[in-house]
Amino acid sequence: MAERFDKHILKNGMVVLGEPMEAVESVAFGFMLPAGEALLPEGCCGAGSVIADWIFRGAGDKSSRELGDALDGLGLHRAGGVGSSHIAIGAALEADNLAQALDLYADIILEAHLKEDQFELARQLAIDGVLALDDDPRQKVMLELRERFYPSPLGRSVVGHIDELKALTARSTRAIVKNNFNLSQTIFAVAGKYDFDAVVSILDSRFSILDTNIQHRASNIEHPASSKYTHLHNEGAQVHIGLMTETIKPTDEDYYNARVAVSVLSGGMSARLFTEVREKRGLCYAIGARYHGLKSAAGIMCYAGTTPEKGQETLDVIIGEFNRLSEGINEEEIERAKVGLKSSLILQSESSSSRAGGIGSDYYILGRVRSLDEIKSKIEETSVDSVLGFLRNNRFKDFTVVTIGPKCLK
Amino acid sequence: MEFKKKKLANGLSLIGEVNKSAKSVSVGFFVKTGARDEPKQINGVSHFLEHMLFKGTERLSAFEVNEAFDKTGAQFNAFTSEENTVFYAAVLPEYLVEVTKLWIELMRPALRDEDFNIEKNVIKEEIAMYKDLPSFDAMERCRSLHFDGHPCGNSVLGSGESIDNLTAEQMRSFFVRRYAPNNMVLACAGNFDWDQIRSIAQSSCSKWQKQTVGRKLEHCGGSKKKERVEKSNLAREHICLMSPGVSAQDPRRFAASLLGVIVGDNVGSRFFWELVDKALAEAAAMQFGAMDGTGTFCSYIRCSAGNVPKVLDIVRGIFHSLSESGITDDELRKAKNKVLSALVIENELPMGRLSHLGSNWIYLEQYRTIEDDINAIRAVTVDDVHSLIGEFNPGDFTQLSIGPAQNSS
Repeated sequence: MAERFDKHILKNGMVVLGEPMEAVESVAFGFMLPAGEALLPEGCCGAGSVIADWIFRGAGDKSSRELGDALDGLGLHRAGGVGSSHIAIGAALEADNLAQALDLYADIILEAHLKEDQFELARQLAIDGVLALDDDPRQKVMLELRERFYPSPLGRSVVGHIDELKALTARSTRAIVKNNFNLSQTIFAVAGKYDFDAVVSILDSRFSILDTNIQHRASNIEHPASSKYTHLHNEGAQVHIGLMTETIKPTDEDYYNARVAVSVLSGGMSARLFTEVREKRGLCYAIGARYHGLKSAAGIMCYAGTTPEKGQETLDVIIGEFNRLSEGINEEEIERAKVGLKSSLILQSESSSSRAGGIGSDYYILGRVRSLDEIKSKIEETSVDSVLGFLRNNRFKDFTVVTIGPKCLK
Repeated sequence: MEFKKKKLANGLSLIGEVNKSAKSVSVGFFVKTGARDEPKQINGVSHFLEHMLFKGTERLSAFEVNEAFDKTGAQFNAFTSEENTVFYAAVLPEYLVEVTKLWIELMRPALRDEDFNIEKNVIKEEIAMYKDLPSFDAMERCRSLHFDGHPCGNSVLGSGESIDNLTAEQMRSFFVRRYAPNNMVLACAGNFDWDQIRSIAQSSCSKWQKQTVGRKLEHCGGSKKKERVEKSNLAREHICLMSPGVSAQDPRRFAASLLGVIVGDNVGSRFFWELVDKALAEAAAMQFGAMDGTGTFCSYIRCSAGNVPKVLDIVRGIFHSLSESGITDDELRKAKNKVLSALVIENELPMGRLSHLGSNWIYLEQYRTIEDDINAIRAVTVDDVHSLIGEFNPGDFTQLSIGPAQNSS
């Protein structure tokens, strides 16, 4: 049966998307609020994570505790987080409770209390989150990498910077909420078991208000400083290597060639990085690369963790494999990459949460929702020639590398 | 949904739950072996074996195994715990036969010396990786302190030393003892043809030799010891608490998991409101873990070194009030709603179904529908939870923390 997508645009421009799924009793929904780190004012890095916590600390006629209890009472599993472009908030739950959940989320988005005492707690947790990163070098290295790879402010840390978090006030943060919770730029997505008319009617009654006082901010995109290698010292057991190189954006016509190329490099266990770095040389346990795309920039991102004496060889083998890719790929590798991409697409399509996330981000990046059939046939169309053509026209030039560990690399 | 089962003459259990409306299917081997089944000198061998099964058979090299899986687009992997080693794959229905045949073949691996020697490096890298994850480190050390000599305290990964000393021969002999058909379950969930899978398993696995296998089951009350480990590179205090709980076979396991949610779910629990909401700790969670013949309540809390005394006072207060005043109807109602919706969501994916199906068979030799579990959760009363609290007193715990040197904070 062909997929169906639901779409409705509220009077104020807020987009409402849906994908019904027949085999499930659950429903997942998410609001993408245009308040990601890259859209926030200078000097406020981490405000997104403070806001994502603060708005749950009391809203509408409910105190923080009452709101938390009401959400828990619906058996709702909260999901979301802060990204470069959006703060996403949403949940997965049993379908019968959707209407009540949407009503509570409308309170959270439109009528959060944003009280001073609760602000201090939300900010303290955000600061603690940054401090705790020092004990999680694997996560930290990827955040540091994004920050150095993407032009500022696109790669800004979604966890935050201590000094900027300390400088935030309830007042300045409230102003960010007011400016950035712009309904005309908000995307709502729902997937699973739901009645679209009922969903639209709830959203229409709660969100059809016109925004006032919205200041549209155009960010100045700046390229990061030229330093391509950064080492951060930590007396841990491993050196954690993060590496990223520029590639084409999700809107580019070569997008699927890029995805297949990355899959040849690191799609499955027979892909090149796993085979060369782990299977043949035993250098790492964790090694992998993936495509990482924002709307206006994209890269191929790679992580490897290894003991210090093997760090240099690991990095050299990884870079060697990136560069070797355009020299030749055989039919079987391309076939495996394509099957892997198609099958993970279908396996993910059984989960209401991943479908709600997928249609929302499609709409944001492409302005429309792609059907599974469209994606499948685009993957099908790629070939050894098209992928190699793409690689040869878009050679990997620079690698941004960050390491955390007891020893720096060359 | 339709349940199917068959036991081969050599003891291999085949089970399946057919759901024709699913888009995919999951298949896996559940092997009843893990760290608790290992003699001390070869600690880590079960997990090492899990890696070695991907290294091929007499017919297939390691690369050919990976290639064969990747050709089907399967999402496949394996994990080892204290008591089980599980190999699983999620695939589109048209590839199920191929992937099932592949798993069956891999269950009789070559275990070659040269693969063993290369993989030793990978295992040691994995041990190093987990050393850089203090939450994992704290939990593993706490488990060992709590079980204090009981085999459930054995490390899953083993130590650098036990892995260095392990020989391929020791591994091969452990394999023969534990990967016996009567110690394994082949399970399938999702959109598939049962007769086809059964007949493949029957024709390929019937020659596997039955062995005498067993496991000593002893409940463990826990040592209640308290220890702290200092690590100069750490920024935060990582605290793990462990106390005894009911086993995976005990009908009270549903009440125990609800108690875990009431005390330590990541939002809305007592830990959440007292510690995280007040920004005294950035993480605080408690979970019930059911095991073969025993069980634990395990908490993990992360905070600044300065907040430790206050945090521990509050934790003691939470457990004290549980013992003194118990839980409320409202807390139980909310916990049930959360657990029930998680159950529904999880079981919508064949992979989620496979894990329930396999572990129910491993522990209970019983098929349980989602409705059976839903009804068991709904039936739990406040008194059930109170009697668990009375019997197991979760406030009397083993405690292990890892944090920065104390004079430096």
